[in-house]
Amino acid sequence: MADTTEVPPREEKIGLMARALGWFDSRLGLSYQLLRPAPQYSINPFYWLGALATVAFVIQAVTGGIMMLYYVPDPTQAYATTQYIFRSVSYGTFLETIHLYTAYAMIMLAFMHLMRGYFVSVHKKPRELMWVTGMVMGFVTLGFGFTGYLLPWTIVSKSATDVGIGMMGALPQPLASFITFLVVGSGSDAGELLRFYDLHVFVLPAVLLVLLVVKMYMLEAHGVSEPSSGLGSLSQKKRKLIPIFPDVSFYLVELAALFGSAVILVSVIFPLSLPPEYSAAIAGQYVSQPDWYFLWIYQILKVSAFEQAGLPVALTAVTLIFAALVVLPFIDRGKVRNIRERMVYITLGAIFVAEVAVLAVWGYLTPGEAIPDETAALVLGGTALLVTLCSLVAYKLVFGGLRRLARGKSPNDGLASKPPMGATPASPRAAGAWIAGMFVGLLVAGAFFTGNSIADVVALGLGASTALPSLAISLTGLALVVVGTMFLIYRLDLATGSIRRRVRVFELGWKG
Amino acid sequence: MTGEAQLSERNTVVTERMSLRIVSLLLLVAVFSVFVLWSVNPVGSGSESTIALFLAVDLIAVAMISYIDRAVSREGRISRAALIAGCFFIGLLVVGALYLVG
Repeated sequence: MADTTEVPPREEKIGLMARALGWFDSRLGLSYQLLRPAPQYSINPFYWLGALATVAFVIQAVTGGIMMLYYVPDPTQAYATTQYIFRSVSYGTFLETIHLYTAYAMIMLAFMHLMRGYFVSVHKKPRELMWVTGMVMGFVTLGFGFTGYLLPWTIVSKSATDVGIGMMGALPQPLASFITFLVVGSGSDAGELLRFYDLHVFVLPAVLLVLLVVKMYMLEAHGVSEPSSGLGSLSQKKRKLIPIFPDVSFYLVELAALFGSAVILVSVIFPLSLPPEYSAAIAGQYVSQPDWYFLWIYQILKVSAFEQAGLPVALTAVTLIFAALVVLPFIDRGKVRNIRERMVYITLGAIFVAEVAVLAVWGYLTPGEAIPDETAALVLGGTALLVTLCSLVAYKLVFGGLRRLARGKSPNDGLASKPPMGATPASPRAAGAWIAGMFVGLLVAGAFFTGNSIADVVALGLGASTALPSLAISLTGLALVVVGTMFLIYRLDLATGSIRRRVRVFELGWKG
Repeated sequence: MTGEAQLSERNTVVTERMSLRIVSLLLLVAVFSVFVLWSVNPVGSGSESTIALFLAVDLIAVAMISYIDRAVSREGRISRAALIAGCFFIGLLVVGALYLVG
């Protein structure tokens, strides 16, 4: 007779947290997977920068909603009601500060999200429309910053906004007429403030929410993007799919909580204070300067060549940069996504980030100062040159010859690895460390000579002719750095046998 | 059951017990911070900073509780560095907040 006695199932001990989650799950159906599972490799903050920007938006909606209870969008009361929030409303200063800093964080996160997407090629098929939607969301985010800046009606915000509105008139038509009509209306202060308020609290949030839904829909359709190096580079564990609830959701809760605590901490360390109220009488005493996220554009417009008649040219150029970013998926249509094989695009992206950062910091340090053309050319050109050199070096060091050198392999003819200077034999690792050190030294020297050149040109522009010898030395040093970098790269290629075109002068002393 | 499996199960049990204690402590910190939040003057930069710091403490506690649950249930182990960093920041912020109260 067969033994039919059933072994009772082993009672598993269920923790308090699991029981609590189970209770909610059975009521809300959280574990019924509506959303596509995400891969394990997406448990990484860089995959959720857009989600963090959304968290920032939610915090802004909550804090802004509370402030709306007190704020009156009228030029005669805007400042007084803002001041009332600061002084008399419970946690008022905290609300204002958090609202501002999460706005900053949202813009920064949106920019990081954009650039990360650019570098890892998320804009490629089939996510082209996700990219375009994301870009429009980025413009809406900047719109939040622009419209919200005016609302306190302070001398700083009103003056900067007036400068911004003035510049809009120089945008290409019909964009200029449309934006000017949208934000200024009849031209009176009251009309302008009311329009900014409406755009800030109704129109832009509504547009952003619609775009968010559209983007989420597309994310659900396409899933999280693969790493640029492909799935093949990942372990089985990393490729495993995990459910949105609880795994990914809990991870997002962690990120959101840490983000919130960081913003709070910054707001405690740097609390906001309200500048004086706007009045036409004292407006001339203040230098009009936009908030930091528009400073890079403002700094371009301060270049002498772009003042007055050149303004439309500069604004058209900036518009074209944005337009190029929007249509990027239709320009960069190649199938290659791997960062290692996209040196040109990666270098262009790095130059863009570096130029934006340099222009913003420069703008912050030189409020209201016009920038001579030569200085602008040197700073912007120097930055582009340095970034290009860095990129070239990085590609050679990280992805190129040095890696092969460290492995002792040659791509072409199996040349044995050797130090790139062709001198004392050393281990591949020692040769790698040596050449990396040389590259770093060259970059430091390059930065030093570029800085000196800029300072000398500025001094010359101010009439100090004594700066001429110093400029000659700096430019010579810069030229030597460029030649030195090319020499080192050539010797590296020579050591690994990946030379395409011979340059005899760079082979002096080479014992091949 | 092999010795390795027994060891693994014992480790998981120890991790779960440890996580329960940490979560209890974090909840205690959260309750304490809420108590402080209701007992200070809500207008004034000093008291607002105190409240903000305790709010940051709460958020870090939430992040840690979520992390502990995720790590225990999915990986069976918790990163000691993450726990130490979280506790360090909580301690730092609580001391800062109490300093402001004082």
